[in-house]
Amino acid sequence: MKTLASMVWIELRKARRSTMPLFTALGSLFMPLGLAFLLFVSKNPEISRQLGLISTKATLMADTAATWPVFLATFAQVLAIGGLFLCVLIASWVFGREFTDGTLKDLLAVPVERAGILLAKFIVVALWSGALAVLIFGSGLLVGALFRLPGGSPDILLQGIGRAAITACLAIAAGVPFAFFASLGRGYLLPIGAIIMTLIMANLVTAAGWGEYFPWAIIGIYAQGKDALPSASFVVVTLTGLIGMIGTYLWWKYADQNR
Amino acid sequence: MEKDARMKWIIETENLGKRYGDVQAVDGLSLRVAAGEIYAFLGLNGAGKTTTIRMLLGMIKPTGGSATVLGRHVRLGSREPWAEVGYLVEMPHAYPELTVAENLEVVRRLHPGTESKAISRVIERLGLAAYANRRAGVLSQGNAQRLGLAKALLHDPKLILLDEPANGLDPAGIVEIRELLLELTREQGVTVFMSSHILAEVSRLADRIGIIHEGRMLKEMDIAELERNRRRRLLVRTRDLEAAGRALSAAGHPGKILPGEILVLDQIDAIDHPEDIAGLLVQAGTPPKQLLVEEEELEQYFLRLVGANGGEK
Repeated sequence: MKTLASMVWIELRKARRSTMPLFTALGSLFMPLGLAFLLFVSKNPEISRQLGLISTKATLMADTAATWPVFLATFAQVLAIGGLFLCVLIASWVFGREFTDGTLKDLLAVPVERAGILLAKFIVVALWSGALAVLIFGSGLLVGALFRLPGGSPDILLQGIGRAAITACLAIAAGVPFAFFASLGRGYLLPIGAIIMTLIMANLVTAAGWGEYFPWAIIGIYAQGKDALPSASFVVVTLTGLIGMIGTYLWWKYADQNR
Repeated sequence: MEKDARMKWIIETENLGKRYGDVQAVDGLSLRVAAGEIYAFLGLNGAGKTTTIRMLLGMIKPTGGSATVLGRHVRLGSREPWAEVGYLVEMPHAYPELTVAENLEVVRRLHPGTESKAISRVIERLGLAAYANRRAGVLSQGNAQRLGLAKALLHDPKLILLDEPANGLDPAGIVEIRELLLELTREQGVTVFMSSHILAEVSRLADRIGIIHEGRMLKEMDIAELERNRRRRLLVRTRDLEAAGRALSAAGHPGKILPGEILVLDQIDAIDHPEDIAGLLVQAGTPPKQLLVEEEELEQYFLRLVGANGGEK
């Protein structure tokens, strides 16, 4: 346990000293700020007219999100897609950087279980992604409060927060396999390419009606909150995370490491 | 009894091999490194040195044979015996955004039980005190190499594996590291296994040398043997080379006159006793102007062994 805490300390120190937390935080704020902009435009018709087509779209989107229940659901969806992407970005950096920076070799012939080193990395990915989810959703709530959206009640807010929290957990679990891709591809390129392909696939699979069994589509479907997902969907996402962790572990333990 | 015999070898490989598709990177390599010894693993670029070191460290799985380090069979992803092993493989990479001291703190935590004081000690030892709080990403190549060595030495290992340790160091740095490694072996009984492609660099340091070429062990020898194996010859200059050649030939020392007015003798007794040759030349009335025992350059010898361009076979 002491060793695991020590490994987590190492990963947190590496993250804290890098520019990645700042960039991912700025990337996260882009989502609530974007929605705030749309709400602002829709509530200011004069500016809307000057902006032409953009304002029409903004009005349409902002009108639909102009009550707390719809705003919260919209936000959960933003979290589903944007959050998943950020989580993949973080996992790619935490795992892929060891290959890109050539520091992997210093983690291999050491008297610490490789599982401990990897678990610490996964813990930091989860903590970091969780913190960003809080930042995204917290600033979203602030935006909603600033625009004095109607239709809010403690129950609705709690329900929205609960949905966002579960969406974030699903996104983190579904992001885990990309740590494996970062290891397999020995860098950032493969996981980033893979998440783009996966999001396209998620759309196709959802359109075909099998979305509730495709882990990366399940997050979006859950966030929408329209259809009740079968329990199997949650099992699928959990298994995806577990398989991602086990795959990463096996790869780090048994693959030849030439870098 | 068998175990005791095995334990005296700090590193032992038995027909160690690694094949990548059609390429046999390392082939049937058997070597033994004794405790407290500095073993230099010499080879040209691409000879298989780094692949061997990575196999010894359990980073690459051999496709043949086996390796034992500190009495333990090396397995991929194992936790042992690395508490007592320090290493520097290829480039001395470090986390660029962390300071020198923070990079060493990372290594310290990866070796549980290493006390905090070890960091300041190794920083002092490697001459990194002025850079302790500088980010590793802005270090010069020489200081990055020092940091790499500091990481290898931090936890007072019994065995150090170093891949081209002199890379990036200036001449003063090379001498300093050489002295440090000698001190470690002599005073603390540390065993050093180091790779290099420069024979002159390791000949001043190593107790034994293994020469690897195209993945195979070409020759293993101790330093005395290295000296014996190098080609030596006696160069003679006199006023009358023809007369000197005839006189020496008559005395059982046939020589060859080379361009530049030099008579060359390659008999061992002539090389070992140039004073006898001087006496013969004086008796023949052609006293020597110069007698010089010339030793083959180390690099020339190395290239001759591996049969590369620049070395005569």
